[in-house]
Amino acid sequence: MQSRRKFLQQTALAAGSLLASNSVFAGWGETNDVTKLTILHTNDVHSRLEPFPMDGGRNQGLGGVAARAELIKTIRSEEDRVIAAYNNENGDNSSSGVLLLDAGDIFQGTPFFNIYKGEPEIKAMSAMKYDAATIGNHDFDAGLENLAIQLQNASFPLLVCNYDLSNTPMENKTLPYKIFRKGKLKIGVTGVGIDPKGLVPDNLAGNTKYLDPVANLNRMANKLKREEGCDMVICLSHLGYKYKENPNKMCDIVLAKESDYVDLIIGGHTHTFMDEPDVQKNKTGSDVIINQVGWAGIMLGRLDFEFSKMQKKNLTKSHTVTVGKKTIE
Amino acid sequence: MMRSLVKYPLFLCLFFAVSCDTAYQTSTVQYKDYRISSKQPASNELSSMLKPYADSVNKSMNDVVAVAGITLEKKQPEGTLGNLLADAMMAKAKEKFNTPVDAVFMNSGGIRLPSIPQGNITRGKIFELSPFDNQIVLLKLNGKILQQFLDTTAIRGGWPTAGCVYQLKNKKAVNITIGGQPLNENAEYTIGMVDYVANGGDNCDMLKPIPQQSRGYLFRDAIIEYFADAQKQGKALVSKIENRVSYAE
Repeated sequence: MQSRRKFLQQTALAAGSLLASNSVFAGWGETNDVTKLTILHTNDVHSRLEPFPMDGGRNQGLGGVAARAELIKTIRSEEDRVIAAYNNENGDNSSSGVLLLDAGDIFQGTPFFNIYKGEPEIKAMSAMKYDAATIGNHDFDAGLENLAIQLQNASFPLLVCNYDLSNTPMENKTLPYKIFRKGKLKIGVTGVGIDPKGLVPDNLAGNTKYLDPVANLNRMANKLKREEGCDMVICLSHLGYKYKENPNKMCDIVLAKESDYVDLIIGGHTHTFMDEPDVQKNKTGSDVIINQVGWAGIMLGRLDFEFSKMQKKNLTKSHTVTVGKKTIE
Repeated sequence: MMRSLVKYPLFLCLFFAVSCDTAYQTSTVQYKDYRISSKQPASNELSSMLKPYADSVNKSMNDVVAVAGITLEKKQPEGTLGNLLADAMMAKAKEKFNTPVDAVFMNSGGIRLPSIPQGNITRGKIFELSPFDNQIVLLKLNGKILQQFLDTTAIRGGWPTAGCVYQLKNKKAVNITIGGQPLNENAEYTIGMVDYVANGGDNCDMLKPIPQQSRGYLFRDAIIEYFADAQKQGKALVSKIENRVSYAE
């Protein structure tokens, strides 16, 4: 760990001049206190490996893993440039400024899934170097044993903190959270799944036990921020953004309001195309960002976060996050 | 705990004139949605990974099963696509079970495409429309249970049906007729649906205890066969809004 410590010491000094030269940070008073993370995300891709066919339908030509992979590669190489400059100076090449995440329902929706049961979906996500995903209700569709088999091809973990999968074929095949070091930042990522009752057929859900998403997420976020010292906690959620017909039903908005120490919810399930990220106040008055990008891989979402330095003793104080304009390409 | 141990050089500490025990927190976020399209550059790695799968899928899925005479749309409380699929379920349920069926219902969430454009419909398109391996089942429902079931569909915005006409009012089903006759609480009806719903899916818990009659017949196969029947007769598939499901005034 000595080299990491040295790296952090040196980059703390190097950061100011490097970041100041980056136009993103122009106009910031304390440029040497700012660092940045790019999050790319998808949800409810539903086995859409190829673009929608050219049949005159409203989504024709949209989606597809080949175009998404190329775009992700381009964004990564751009965003890694600043970090690479640190790395060159410090002889460290372990850092990356991009996190690529998915909020579940990877499976079901095209004949690829009927025939191959998720094999090409998982292989494609691994090839794109996804960092993590969570479980959607349709990821149960070919059974939990099948999910466990397909995950043998996964280079990324499935994160979920509110499913007890003991005595199922998925036992010990998921993680409650994972911590990513991205440059100077420590990012904690966890996931919450939707209640399978009335949604996933009993024979497919098997012994899956659904646990309270709020209590389990808060337990996890508290651990990540206070014990593990993460600078940011991200929750991948398949609860759904909101339910018009029943606003009290558990959803990302309810989750955000009742959460603590969660900075960002990457959502799914409701196939919601959002004009801009939603911002909700959590129970201590801090901002929680919620975002979701429709379905079928029609969109790749991008969130560029800037971070400012703060005192650890102020961790419990509420803080606000300014949602800026759309990133201009 | 690593981070709290990191000691920044002394002058930085003095600069902040406070403890070195610092962390970062999110301060601003910018956002962007990239539209992904086949017009954009494609990754060679992903294209070649996908090719063997795609070749095999396309070989079995690109045959034209039928032709849509109009663009069929999924809508609530009633849409042309839902009506056509409900008609397919009704026709094929009667045929496979060889018994009269009073009404069929399909869950709106089970229709997985927003529309089918006018023109050729491939086998693959039908798989996308109905990807689940759900079977058609018949249930004997008394009028009371049927009312509860329809109230659940009302909460969910109205479901495609054939054989039943009903209206939605304050999240309840009203003015219900089955085969043209008002719903009778004491009568017993033969109702077709997919096993996902009959097993309590989409919050239809009231159906869980009801015995199901099954022939192991997939709803998707029913759609394919119904569409192929029309094709054989040289007919394009059409459907219209008939106020099967509507909002009460």
